Amino acid sequence: MKLTIAWRLALVLMLVGLLGTGLTGYFAYQTSREQLVKASEDRLLTATRVLMRQVIVALKDIAADVSLVAQHPQAARILQHTNSGFQALSEDNVSIIFERLMTVHPEYFQIRLIEAANYGRERIRVDRGLSGLLRIKGDDLQEKGHYNYVFDTLPLASGAVYVSRATINHEVGAHAGVGKPSLQVAAPIHDLNGKAVGVVVINVDLQGLFAQLASDLPPELKLYLTNGNGDFLIHPDSARSFAFDRGQSALVQDEFPAASSLLQGSQPRHDNVVIQSKHTTGAADALVAAFVFQPLSGLEAEDEFILGLSQPLASVLADSNQHAADIMRIVLSLSVLAIFLAIILARYLTQPLRDLVAEVRRFSTDGTIGASPGVRADEIGELARSIEHMEVQIHNQFEVLQNQKVKLEHLANHDSLTGLPNRRLLLERLEQALERAKRNKTEVALLFIDLNRFKSINDTYGHKAGDAVLLEVAQRLHKLLRASDTAARIGGDEFLILIEGNCEAAAMDSIVSKVQAVLALSIPHQDIELRCGGSIGVARYPQDGATAATLIAVADQSMYQSKARRDD
Amino acid sequence: MYKPQKKSLSVLASMPSFLKNTAVGKQALWLMALLSLVVTPAWAEKPVLRVLAWPGYAEAEVVKSFEQKNGVRVELTVITSDVVLWQRISERNTDYDVFAVNVAELQRYIAVNLVQSLNVELLPNTQRQLARFRDLAAIPGLVHEGKVYAIPFTYAEMGLIYDRKQIAAPPATIAALWDPRYRGKVVVYDGGTHNFSLAAQRLGLQSPFRIGTADWQRAAQQLIALRRNVLGFYLQPEESVRLFMDHHAALMFANYGMQQVHLLKAAGADIGYAIPQEGALAWLDCWTITRSARDPALAHAWIDYLLDEEGSRLLTERQGLSSTRYEQADRRPHDLLLWLQPQEDTARREKLWGRIRSGDQLSRVMAP
Repeated sequence: MKLTIAWRLALVLMLVGLLGTGLTGYFAYQTSREQLVKASEDRLLTATRVLMRQVIVALKDIAADVSLVAQHPQAARILQHTNSGFQALSEDNVSIIFERLMTVHPEYFQIRLIEAANYGRERIRVDRGLSGLLRIKGDDLQEKGHYNYVFDTLPLASGAVYVSRATINHEVGAHAGVGKPSLQVAAPIHDLNGKAVGVVVINVDLQGLFAQLASDLPPELKLYLTNGNGDFLIHPDSARSFAFDRGQSALVQDEFPAASSLLQGSQPRHDNVVIQSKHTTGAADALVAAFVFQPLSGLEAEDEFILGLSQPLASVLADSNQHAADIMRIVLSLSVLAIFLAIILARYLTQPLRDLVAEVRRFSTDGTIGASPGVRADEIGELARSIEHMEVQIHNQFEVLQNQKVKLEHLANHDSLTGLPNRRLLLERLEQALERAKRNKTEVALLFIDLNRFKSINDTYGHKAGDAVLLEVAQRLHKLLRASDTAARIGGDEFLILIEGNCEAAAMDSIVSKVQAVLALSIPHQDIELRCGGSIGVARYPQDGATAATLIAVADQSMYQSKARRDD
Repeated sequence: MYKPQKKSLSVLASMPSFLKNTAVGKQALWLMALLSLVVTPAWAEKPVLRVLAWPGYAEAEVVKSFEQKNGVRVELTVITSDVVLWQRISERNTDYDVFAVNVAELQRYIAVNLVQSLNVELLPNTQRQLARFRDLAAIPGLVHEGKVYAIPFTYAEMGLIYDRKQIAAPPATIAALWDPRYRGKVVVYDGGTHNFSLAAQRLGLQSPFRIGTADWQRAAQQLIALRRNVLGFYLQPEESVRLFMDHHAALMFANYGMQQVHLLKAAGADIGYAIPQEGALAWLDCWTITRSARDPALAHAWIDYLLDEEGSRLLTERQGLSSTRYEQADRRPHDLLLWLQPQEDTARREKLWGRIRSGDQLSRVMAP
């Protein structure tokens, strides 16, 4: 295919069109992707915040349970060591409360009432066993005075609630709670004198608590919980939870470096952070994660919690991929449209060019100037007008050339002074006449004329006089002859007359006499009458020769004889 | 001084000097070195020394200078637990040449023939160690049947940290932990093995690592009494600092030794550190060579190099670990250190301690 301007233009327009739609599509995709990711980051952060708030509400509920029991008058009375029968009854009553609470709260591992005296001996204890609740009694009750939840809770004011660090419970005999992530929530019991006489402790199943809170979350969301130090307490990969309890280290700041700004002692400390993490094993498990820190205000907490939710980046981008497919379809259809438009536009734009080409072709073949290209004001209109102007100029110059050619041809065949055919044209016509005569068996006569006194006129009166003589003679000869005859000046004062048709001797004599009479007439020149006269020699075809040269030679000879006769 | 046995390494050294002295030559050398890694490792491979060590034992610059000095490559694996160390050495003995282990642990490695005896003559730096570490026979567990199996490298003793404001004179005896004057102000490590040793010291048993059948109940009783005297127990050094500072404790059994002293001082505590007259339990880490070490001479060179001045100095400067070449500033030469030894029954100690720790009474603790 020839790469015409129309095609090139179409290609360029197509490329521009495709580039335009492609780039628009790409940037639309980028922008929408960013917005989608941002939106889902915001959603994730909101979900994390809500969950954090629920955690705090849940902790406060537990704290309310602990306070309720600790501030119950019966609790203090049990620790007064008065009537043992009454005490046993009271202990039974309180243990029923414990059992009720634990029935309602499956996330409670254990509820205990511990006295400050006797090295923190447990007085009432209900454990969750494998097959139900267990009331622990007698020698199975243990001394807990050396545990933080006892020695840290006893000094608290009435109504305050202690929340321990999250730990793995290693207390022997704690039944369902043994080896499980736990949280101790405790409140002091004060006697009537305001002296701390014991504590009430609820052991909370950390995983159970969070499983409940997170149960409403979509399954693709993964839960993280760390302490204020960054140690994972809950992690989707359970091997990373409570690593410190096994002498290992699994820290949120190692897995999500940006989360370090949430940790204890970080300056400044942020309360939330959203992270896009390229995970260790590559893009496949890249995550978007939100972490939130919120102080446990109103609670005497030993530690802090940082809560996080993560979502696979892939699921965040699922919407955006749908979007990308839509944009791709739009881009493709626009591209097809762009291709069509490009072709049509290119053809439309190049139509005047094609018209011009046709016009120039036509001009070059027949030389005529066609219809005006109209009144377009643009570059193409200008081009058309220029071409038209050029055509007109070419046309004019062509005419001039043509005229000059005619003139040149005339000059080549005629005598410049007299305007009579010159020797060349005469020879040409003579040849043609001889051809015709041979074919038609007709005759041709040739008269050779020489002016007798031309030289002396020239010498006596000057060249101008000579020229006037030659001119006058030429005119007279021309007038004398028929149109079919030819009078030619072949040299200085020599003329030849070619006669076709009747060339009999009588007719020839008559012509010679007429010529002689014409030549004898005086020629006026500047107040003088010039007389030159002339000698005439005749040669005839076929009598005197068959070729032009022979006839001219015979006529010349005859002229000299006649001149000699006159001179005699 | 160690000399590489393989001659293959001299290839680079014997390169025409124009190669080494021109920029293009250097690039060419690099290229060849790179190529050699990919294409022909055989001739370019350096001898490799495979080391298992605890964090901080082999500082990066020490490893590097050792590599340069000996024309070898060191493959350092850091371990953080005795259990992992045992697994590696017992299951993949041929994968390692030299490792650091405490004397008590060392015994079982010797027992099942996982380590080889050392040639002390290849370790000239041992002559520059402190007197108490030069006499290898005096440290139980290093010498068996006249053969030396390990060289002391670093140690830490478990002394008593006391608050100078509450306790004027350094506590002279381990019994201070039971002193009712400090009730609720004592902080003790949460570990059965060491705590039963403490109880044995308190009872005046012959060896804190050997509790006789008749002594278990007495020891448990002592620990219950200790439990009743303490504020609380700790596992991590940071935890101990928190307990000590937040509750104005008076006395602490420093399971992590000087590390806790440094942490407490950094936290602004006015404390003293004492070694009781019964002696402080102390762990002693030694270098030893595996039975199947590829190049024992190179392994010896490694041990000697770490006992060199730089290795010993960095150990103390960077890690706060005690060097066997220089005496710690606040330690007295006559302080008695009881190098940890295998206990009679670690599992039983831990089991009983778990019960004591959880608050059980003696009858429950001693229950089968």
